[in-house]
Amino acid sequence: MKEVLPLEKTSLASDIWQEIKNGYNFIFIKDMPLWVAGIALGILAIFIFLWRYPWGISSGYGNWGDQLYYYAGLGKWIGFNKTPPLTPWFHPVSVMNFGMIFGAMGAAMMKGQFSTYRAPGREYVKGFIGGALMGVGSSFANGCIEGGFYTAVGVYSLGGFMMMIGLALGAILGVKYLIWEMLNWPVKIPNQKPLECKKTPIINWCKVYPYIGAGIYLLICLSFYIYSAFNKTVIGGMAFFGLLVGFFMQRARFCLQRTFRNPFMTGDYEMVKAVILSLIIYSAGSAVIKYGFFQPTSNGVDHRFWLGSLLGGCIFGFGMVIAGACASSGLWRAGEGNTKVWVAIVGFATVYPITKHAVSSTALGPFLGKGIYTVDIFGWTWTPVLYIGFFLLWYLLAVYNSKTEKFVITF
Amino acid sequence: MNDFENIKADLLVDCRGLSCPMPILRVKKELKSLKKGQIIELWSTDPGSKKDMPDFAKKQGDEFLGYVDEAGYTKYLIKKGG
Repeated sequence: MKEVLPLEKTSLASDIWQEIKNGYNFIFIKDMPLWVAGIALGILAIFIFLWRYPWGISSGYGNWGDQLYYYAGLGKWIGFNKTPPLTPWFHPVSVMNFGMIFGAMGAAMMKGQFSTYRAPGREYVKGFIGGALMGVGSSFANGCIEGGFYTAVGVYSLGGFMMMIGLALGAILGVKYLIWEMLNWPVKIPNQKPLECKKTPIINWCKVYPYIGAGIYLLICLSFYIYSAFNKTVIGGMAFFGLLVGFFMQRARFCLQRTFRNPFMTGDYEMVKAVILSLIIYSAGSAVIKYGFFQPTSNGVDHRFWLGSLLGGCIFGFGMVIAGACASSGLWRAGEGNTKVWVAIVGFATVYPITKHAVSSTALGPFLGKGIYTVDIFGWTWTPVLYIGFFLLWYLLAVYNSKTEKFVITF
Repeated sequence: MNDFENIKADLLVDCRGLSCPMPILRVKKELKSLKKGQIIELWSTDPGSKKDMPDFAKKQGDEFLGYVDEAGYTKYLIKKGG
């Protein structure tokens, strides 16, 4: 005799609710693989290029620093900032950076992952110095790891490849320093007692965060309408794209500095794969845009080839490893509550305007080089071939290194 | 989870307050001093460790035993492999 299983009683409403919960879990809770973020960022970068200009980050930091120099009157001494800078909420790159911070903060909150914690004192010093070095590096290369390498390679600016070499060299130095410090001068961990609440807090923040996160997302999605009211729809779009970028980066922990650091630290090359995938999409998209003249071919080709990119990459690479974040991962880590990275951003924003001014107003700029469009040299016949070759070579090198640990710094 | 709580570690690595990549570097250093089968306990406040540590252990050929959230930090256990 067959046993009749009692049917589970479910109503349509509870079924739908369950499905929505699964969807929320999939989008906001479950770990997102790096390659998913890689694809998403490649596509978003194409959108950003079409919407306004190829994606960059450092000029947004520069705008924040400019506020300080202009309004505190410090700029006069150094001889720049004669005109007031754009307010941060009308500067397109600054707005996008804010979008990224809040996008990451929202994502961390939706997952219940948002938490601020204090770091030992020396870590903050390293954060500031690392941030300042990233500022110097960015002004030499005319772009951070994001604009100077990722976007540069994506939009066929030759400087990107030079910066890549520089970043690798800088990262090696940085990892060597961290190892030296760990062995000879380790940071002491203060014996913190775990925070125990004597009384139950009135607000259970873990329960509230997801709603704050949702509020942030809603608000920034409205940015199109808000900025349109001021006739600045393009800037509203920057906030929206920043939000999406921050979301994907935080969810997958997409960290460009890991691309250059980990092969020398552990041999791990997960990020290398994700970046290559991302760049294949980005460069294919920008080839369509540039070949079809949807945007000027010179857009985004302003990286100082070759000395500027190489030196800038070295300085930036060292700085990012010391700071524990690069320009882009700094934004999402800041949104996640990492206080050391907040200090690194202050370092970046205060130093970048000075060195940027020094490079662009003296003979140093031309000496460091100028933007070169890869397609001008190799044409559309050979550029794609070279790109495929480059991606393959990079991938194979990373795999080889992962298996043999040939380039891993031993200690 | 109860079993996990009862595992006794041979060495504690406290990385509270340190961010990426220090937890990985410090664990890598300490793992060298351990014998096969010994267990390392890591305290980390960096949210990245939740993804980094299992990947790192796998890459090194060690066994990642899991993590649990404590008050103010996360505790990770890794067993040294061969």
